[in-house]
Amino acid sequence: MSRREEESLKRYKQWAAVILSLLLAAAVSACGNQGTAELAYPSKQVEYIVPYSAGGGVDLVARAAADYLSKEWGQPIVVVNKAGGGGAVGAEYALKQAKNDGYTALAVNVSNTTMLAAGMKAPPITSEDQVYAARIGKGTLAFAVKADAPWKDFAEFSAWVRANPEQLTWTSVGPAGFSAFGVAEWLDVIGADFAKTRMIVTKGASDSVPKVAGGHAILAVHTVGEIMPMLKAGKVKILAVSGDTRSPFLPDVPTAEEQGIQGLSVFWWTGVSFAKGTPASIIRKWEEAIAKMEKDPAFLQKLSEIHVEPAYAVSEAFTKETQAETTYYLELATKKGIRK
Amino acid sequence: MLIIETFQLLLAGFASALTPEHLLMAALGALIGTFVGVLPGLGPTSAIAILLPVTAVLEPTQGMIMLAGIYYGAMYGGSTTAILLNIPGELSSVPTCLDGYPLAKKGRGGPALGISALASFGAGVLGVIGLVFFAPILADQALKFGPPEYFALMILALTLMVSLSGGSLVKSFLMGAFGYTLALVGLGPSSGMPRFDYGVPALVGGFDMISIIIGLFAITEVLKGIDEKRTATLLGKPGSVYPKKEDLRVSAGPMLRGGIIGFFLGLLPGCSAAITSFLAYDMEKKLSKHPEKFGQGAIEGVAAPEAANNATSSAGFIPLFSLGIPSSPPLAILLAGLMIYGLTPGPVLFEQNASFVWTVIASMFVGNAMLLVLNLPMVWVWVKLTRVPYGIMAPIILMFCTIGAYSVRNSMFDVWVAFLFGGLGYVFSKYKWPVVPLVLCFILGPLLEESFIQTMAMGAGDFSIVLFRPLSLTILLAAGALLIISLVLNRRTQQRLKEERDRGVDVA
Repeated sequence: MSRREEESLKRYKQWAAVILSLLLAAAVSACGNQGTAELAYPSKQVEYIVPYSAGGGVDLVARAAADYLSKEWGQPIVVVNKAGGGGAVGAEYALKQAKNDGYTALAVNVSNTTMLAAGMKAPPITSEDQVYAARIGKGTLAFAVKADAPWKDFAEFSAWVRANPEQLTWTSVGPAGFSAFGVAEWLDVIGADFAKTRMIVTKGASDSVPKVAGGHAILAVHTVGEIMPMLKAGKVKILAVSGDTRSPFLPDVPTAEEQGIQGLSVFWWTGVSFAKGTPASIIRKWEEAIAKMEKDPAFLQKLSEIHVEPAYAVSEAFTKETQAETTYYLELATKKGIRK
Repeated sequence: MLIIETFQLLLAGFASALTPEHLLMAALGALIGTFVGVLPGLGPTSAIAILLPVTAVLEPTQGMIMLAGIYYGAMYGGSTTAILLNIPGELSSVPTCLDGYPLAKKGRGGPALGISALASFGAGVLGVIGLVFFAPILADQALKFGPPEYFALMILALTLMVSLSGGSLVKSFLMGAFGYTLALVGLGPSSGMPRFDYGVPALVGGFDMISIIIGLFAITEVLKGIDEKRTATLLGKPGSVYPKKEDLRVSAGPMLRGGIIGFFLGLLPGCSAAITSFLAYDMEKKLSKHPEKFGQGAIEGVAAPEAANNATSSAGFIPLFSLGIPSSPPLAILLAGLMIYGLTPGPVLFEQNASFVWTVIASMFVGNAMLLVLNLPMVWVWVKLTRVPYGIMAPIILMFCTIGAYSVRNSMFDVWVAFLFGGLGYVFSKYKWPVVPLVLCFILGPLLEESFIQTMAMGAGDFSIVLFRPLSLTILLAAGALLIISLVLNRRTQQRLKEERDRGVDVA
């Protein structure tokens, strides 16, 4: 070996040593410090599971919350999208497969809780599998059709559906999701045959609204925020919103009630829940942090940008409301044959 | 959408890609990618497979930028080993070996590396320009795609992949079926009901894409390496990496031609870089005044396939982003990466996530520039790496694989799945069973199922609407036509591979 080669070999050995030690450090830190969760939560990153695709309402609220909480706690709160099965796949993962140590949170919402329990005889997850930590926001339901659809208002559209239920195709998020209950309730109120209409199951709003905009389905029922991008692009129009007041984001769109269709109560909400058996101290910590978050002007600004209304509820009230909702939806689902 | 509008989007993309954070991601990706790419036997596919879980903790834009960087970096790393060691990282680097290695033997490895980097960069730029022109055309059609069209698209993607994986059709088909069977395990996409879980809780969540990919591509590669007792021997001094004026003059034409061939064929869903790099090489040889110099160390023989290789890879992003069709194994894994972020590629992606798409496109350009700036001066570091004994490298790679598989869901189940598929992959490669159809059917199968069910709902139980809608019918016909074309091209590529094998090039 010449001197130069020895030099280079030495340098290469140093290189290798540096790289190896980096790898070892990475490996060691990956092992983490289990068992100290009680001391200072969170002591490592928290996975925040969103059981829908990116860009939907649940996802956007979760991302805004994760941003705030990461700064608040000084630990990364990482949003992970696990879409499928109408929100059941991700929820099942967060509540059944992940540890109940508080490091896997679920972005829970109306579709994968009360509606899921009502829509399935053997739901993969139920309210009993989880601890509701806090509700974050709510959204008004909007009925959207293609921009150049022939109906000028919701009353006219409802009359057409009553006469031609077999011609109505509507997109839904999962067989017993949010849209399914909104449509079922509305058809029940106007006296149209739900069973004759056709549901097209999609992965979420980002998959469902374009189908209506492109004329592949007639109706999409989503939150105002989820329909907004396509509404702004002029590809869809909103015939009505549910609830007893107009949406703050769409002051010009009349409610269904104003058009003589009473009793549309289905609304969308989202919050945080954890697997059963998660330490109560961790639930408190989330409750408190979210209460603080709901007063943060930057967070509220973000909510308004994604067209979600703040609707904070503490763990106890949140749990009670979901119980009442489950009872109502169970009745609706049984009547309409949504329950499978 | 107009070209002007697209340009604005691209500029906005550049503004976003050039933020320090995103630049760092591109640089990191390029560096890590090159690092993995120069390890003997690890190509872009394995590199992306190993590093996918690492990027999954980033937000989508950053993650995709890093993955694109890894992709280009790994390709460049593969070219480096092809030229200096005669070890192609992937099939698409085989033509680079043909003249690159003789050049290295002559002590002109440096200029060969320089030309290869320049050709890659030039083709990358060409690719980005092409994207600006073609993407809006495709994106404009976005909303016309309904469930029947998606169904037809999936059929197109699957037939192509099955036919393109080389070797026997029956084997590809069986592997595809196996992949789809694996995807059936877990909760159904439309019903939300658990399927094929046999009461095992771990199976309710289904198999995870990443652990299967890590197993089939990375762990299998390690096992093969141990089996072959891989070692690398370096030749003498390769000299300066900066090519001479003469080299540049000779290479300019081949670079341009190779880039154009690579790009336009790369637009065809299912046309892989392996096909175009061979075509470009053969074309230059036909056009050359001294065809006898090819194979003896002609710099044109490095420039053409390298340009074609990179242009095809850039062009491949168009069918990937706009139709969700990956045209090569690494893109199939990038597709998995997109899915992890919940971004289903398809016509709607351009419509709804325009800023994301254009930021990634701009970073492809930035990443290519990075490679030029970072890798040329650092080429010696990479070369040293190739001399690390495999006995040290293999455990390190395995460790990465284990961490990667575990970190997906923090469950040992995924680690066992990865190792199981590592073993399976080793057996598959020994008996020449192609794994790409397996991975692709695993990823696309559920999408096919979903669009099938949606189409049935649209047609009120009548599936024939697929045949009565002009767009879906066209896609199905295109699937048939492309299948025939690709079979012909593929046969040709196989033929050439065989020729080179007979001449003693070490092809995986």
